[in-house]
Amino acid sequence: MKNENLKYRLMILPVFALLTLFMYIPVVRSIGIAFQHYTMFDLSKVKYCGLENFSKIIFDPDFNFFQILLNTALWIFVSLFFQFTLGFCLALLLKKPFKGRGIYSGLVFYAWALSGFAIGLVWAWMFNGQFGLANDLLLRAGIIGLPIGFLSDPNFALISVIIANVWYGIPFFAIMLLAALQSVPTELYEAASIDGAGPVAKLFRVTIPTIMPTIVSTTLLRTLWIMNFPDIIYAMTNGGPANSTNILATQMINKIYKNYDYGQGSALGVIIIALLMIYAVIYLKIASRKETSV
Amino acid sequence: MKKALIVLLACVTLGFAVSCKGSGKVELTFMETMTSPERTAVFKEMIAGYEKENPNVTINLISPPYDQAENKETMMLNNKQTLDVIEVRDYSVKQFVNNKNLENLEKRLASWEDGKDLLPITLASARTVDNTAYIIPEFFYIKALFVRTDILAKHGIKTYPATMDELIADCIKITNKKAGQYGFSFRGKSNEFKISDLLLLSDVPNIDPENVYKTTDGKFSLAEPAAMAAFTQYVKLFKESVPADGINWGFNEQVNAFVSGTCPFLVQDPDTVALVDQQLGRDKYTVVPLPVGKSGKAYLDYGFASLAIPSYSKNKDAAWKFITYMNSPKENSFLCQKYGPLPVHASTFKDDTFFSTGVYQAWSTEMSKTDSYVFVKYPLASDKWPGWAQLHEQYMQSVLLGKMTPEAATAKYADYWK
Repeated sequence: MKNENLKYRLMILPVFALLTLFMYIPVVRSIGIAFQHYTMFDLSKVKYCGLENFSKIIFDPDFNFFQILLNTALWIFVSLFFQFTLGFCLALLLKKPFKGRGIYSGLVFYAWALSGFAIGLVWAWMFNGQFGLANDLLLRAGIIGLPIGFLSDPNFALISVIIANVWYGIPFFAIMLLAALQSVPTELYEAASIDGAGPVAKLFRVTIPTIMPTIVSTTLLRTLWIMNFPDIIYAMTNGGPANSTNILATQMINKIYKNYDYGQGSALGVIIIALLMIYAVIYLKIASRKETSV
Repeated sequence: MKKALIVLLACVTLGFAVSCKGSGKVELTFMETMTSPERTAVFKEMIAGYEKENPNVTINLISPPYDQAENKETMMLNNKQTLDVIEVRDYSVKQFVNNKNLENLEKRLASWEDGKDLLPITLASARTVDNTAYIIPEFFYIKALFVRTDILAKHGIKTYPATMDELIADCIKITNKKAGQYGFSFRGKSNEFKISDLLLLSDVPNIDPENVYKTTDGKFSLAEPAAMAAFTQYVKLFKESVPADGINWGFNEQVNAFVSGTCPFLVQDPDTVALVDQQLGRDKYTVVPLPVGKSGKAYLDYGFASLAIPSYSKNKDAAWKFITYMNSPKENSFLCQKYGPLPVHASTFKDDTFFSTGVYQAWSTEMSKTDSYVFVKYPLASDKWPGWAQLHEQYMQSVLLGKMTPEAATAKYADYWK
């Protein structure tokens, strides 16, 4: 028995070593850097500075931290809501077999395979206020008289980047939920029909409760990913205009790549990790309570 | 048997060692940072020429994607990874010198024959940090005004603006928003200060050439009354002759607006020439010197990239020889013709018709009329410098959106540089 145990431990060792090398050590190191004055500009001046990086970020007079937090929350939850709802609808539509379903699903899932940065560049052109497709269509349809500055007007910029993100994330939910839907036993629907349940009742009483574990895990995963996904914003607006689309992840990139300030960049990373951990714990608690009540 | 095997092994090892030493092969690792597929191809051609001339040298070119190149270079230098020749951008020199990553090239520069032909601006740039030549510039970017001759002719404009006031007036005059005709090809993001500040400061007569954000009497230049008045004019230029979307325009959108004819005035660097040539052709545009401000001057910053040797390289002599080849007047002119920016030798501007005629005359004028065109430096050595672009952009955008007054933004800028 003991030998067996040792064998299993040895077998997971390579993965554990890789994770340690590429995940745990960098995370621990960046937590350390978060408490240091650490700028690439002059590495001879690296020194511990306590919580200074955090206070500089939170009380930054130039980049309002609370606006960035609000932007982050809107970016995550609005994107997530529409990605999930539309992805779920798509999964329901794709559940029933029809001619050409394979090709159709292939095309639909294509977006998920693209790089976030490339998607950002494409959508940046679509939303271009001068030459963009969105404006062209709206102008031709007579809905607007003058082009809208989708990415240059703070009232539209966040909505525009969220639309691009929704488009990108729908296939993920569609793939995952479709797999879950296909595993719902048909007997349950038959039994529900005998009990007189209509399509809506079946959806809310049978389908959703059965696939609840998938819904919980996918929405949680997506939340983490969206929060850590600055690619689209970076390519479309780089946080502008005037900070209106800046989220924690883009600000972190700007601190590191533009300001060479690894200390403040790491501090932002630590804030992101902390917020995500708190969110995950609360979310899983609520979800498990719901599941037991179902 | 065992003995025989040992002898054989020893012979092979010895033979290998001798052959390695005897061949005198040198492998130089060369990293570029301003990567583009077109330019990498030009570099490869130049390298092939060098390898042909020097059969004992192999150049191993590393070409990381443009966006990650500088970071990769920084990492490699700080970890002392194998590098013999590196391309260093102007903004990074101070950082690399601070971290003791660059070799002092003064002695080598003094004994280099072609070094005597370098332009004064090349030598000044080589000594950007600590007045010591840690780098040898490869080429320059200097702003000039690109003009769509065909579009302006339609609006009856045949003489091109020589002053900022004329430029603003022309831009506003031809703008007809309903017809989709605007004037100025605006830069709203991604280092927008490199254009906006040039325009804001051209009315100030006494800018310190060593630090564009200071006047010669030590005041913050952007807060000078003349600069504040120019700021208001700049906002007017934006409101009355630029599509609202211009706030979000980077390089690509700027060039696109120029090529499409939406905005027939564009302030850009010489590497835009190749791009516009390709998409438009020289019969539809020309380049003129940047208009001067009320001070009678235009302040031009000069961006550049350079070649340098990491302080820990094991092949410094071979690396220097390669740098002198890449930066010889012949090869340098070849690179600049293919790639677009301005060469570093005085003789190239005199002898090479490519640079002494046509659109490049605009830059030739800017470099020779020293009373009107003053070359200025950004405070690259300040530890506040890396954060400046993002801060500047955020407040400039706030002003253009009408969320902030020019005065309030200038106060923020002054605060930052305090």
